[in-house]
Amino acid sequence: MTGPSWQAEAERQRLLVEGILAPRADAASLPTRESGARALRGLQAYRVNAGASAERALAAAFPTVQQLVGTENFEHLAQDYWRADPPTRGDLAEWGAGLATWLAAHEQLQAWPYLCDAARLDWALHRCERSADHALNAESVARLGDTDPSRLAVVFAPGLAVIESRWPIAAIHRAHHDGASFDELRAAIDAQRGESVIVFRRGWKAVFADADPATASWTRHLLEGCDLGTAIAQAGDGFDFTAWLTHALASNWLKEIRVLAD
Amino acid sequence: MGEGRSADILGQPPRAGIGLRHPHYAEVIEGTPPLGFVEVHSENFFADGGAALAVLHDARERYAVSLHGVGLGLGSAAGLDPWHLERLAALVDRIDPVRVSDHACFSRAPRGRSAGAVHANDLLPIAFTPASLDILCANVSRVQDRLKRPLLVENLSAYLSFADDSIPEPQFFAELAQRTGCAMLLDVNNLVVNALNIGEPDPVSACTAFIDALPGGIAQEIHLAGYSGSREAGDIVIDDHGSLVKPEVWRVYEHAIARFGAVPTLIEWDTDIPSLDVLLGEAERATAVMQGRA
Repeated sequence: MTGPSWQAEAERQRLLVEGILAPRADAASLPTRESGARALRGLQAYRVNAGASAERALAAAFPTVQQLVGTENFEHLAQDYWRADPPTRGDLAEWGAGLATWLAAHEQLQAWPYLCDAARLDWALHRCERSADHALNAESVARLGDTDPSRLAVVFAPGLAVIESRWPIAAIHRAHHDGASFDELRAAIDAQRGESVIVFRRGWKAVFADADPATASWTRHLLEGCDLGTAIAQAGDGFDFTAWLTHALASNWLKEIRVLAD
Repeated sequence: MGEGRSADILGQPPRAGIGLRHPHYAEVIEGTPPLGFVEVHSENFFADGGAALAVLHDARERYAVSLHGVGLGLGSAAGLDPWHLERLAALVDRIDPVRVSDHACFSRAPRGRSAGAVHANDLLPIAFTPASLDILCANVSRVQDRLKRPLLVENLSAYLSFADDSIPEPQFFAELAQRTGCAMLLDVNNLVVNALNIGEPDPVSACTAFIDALPGGIAQEIHLAGYSGSREAGDIVIDDHGSLVKPEVWRVYEHAIARFGAVPTLIEWDTDIPSLDVLLGEAERATAVMQGRA
């Protein structure tokens, strides 16, 4: 649909959205029937609702980030992020994929150098909890015994992710959600102890497991689509594939072992 | 299977429904209180899987479920988001809802002159002009074509309106229904909120006149909710769905039922959500009106 009248409606709608997203409320340029203070109150109603929606949506997806920076800072952060990188979907649970990167570039947040990685873990858990339910294709596991590993790929459970960090992201998360010691956490941060985790779903709940560097690297290669033969070669002699497979099956990390097309 | 859709078939007396919200999931599923239907916000169940979707399937085994959207942005000149429409279609296939609805509002608009559309995640007011009606009709038709079922479109509470509005709102909805085959979800609380915010001297009479100006049969569902603020306080009234249905809303609702019959009615409560008993009490009061006992 095009034409001058359609363009006029599109422009009217663009102006209102700009007015809601603008740093300061200004209803003077809006083509509304209301004017003056009444128009400003109307615009403010939408701006307040937008701010509350932003904060509520990000708090649900990034609970660790919210605790790290504090409720008041998080409120400002959410509203700044809303203006910088507004949602493009009508489901706010889908909004926030770019927050970690945005945080990394936010100079006022340099006091929390691990904030970006904490956000990555929060987001991975959030996504995992919304991922498709699945059941292991048990028959496919038999391919491990009768097919050349270079022709096999591991398909992980939906939502499974690996987060590798040079900060103690597992300890940060546990201290803020599971009552783990903050004294130990401070020591781990001071020592810049890097940690990696694998995010997966246990029942309905997204959880994470600590992963040593070799397991994290292995998982990342497989998630990137590396065939099993190449992944085993890259992992080196120290990597125990049988032990990993046993653990992966017990933890419901796998969806299937797929035979790659020739 | 709950009473909802089958109530008419079985000749059972109509009952009001409630919005099914997270704090009441377990209590409603386990207790299965007598309700005509339950309604959920479609977008809260767009995920591929997870606990919320499992709860909705449990609810569907016990009740008729109505899917009420807040994100299609049916009046958006920027058009619909194909992703959103496909997610909704998938949810409709999964749940087989008794009704599917969304709002006569816009949500999507380009930011700047060259950027892609952003989603305001709010129900923003559309103009009541011929061009706005054309846009709404085109988008509603697209949704109905995809879902292969009629849509219910809800009248909005709006805090701003446009100087060049040229079509009275009841006529706007009548033409929308005539051109697309959709029905109307009549939100009585929104009528009252708008009447208060534009300073109608007699808000109840203004709302009943609105209802009388609608074609018979257009309203296929009614929403009732609370609002906050008051005109006396010199501020605008906010449609926050966070309190009991106000007396003047009940009066307009009684008029709507007299005009349209026992239309399926929902108690909406989205902020400061009370105990389930409070919601059920409100639903019982609406049921009494529907059954002619009030």
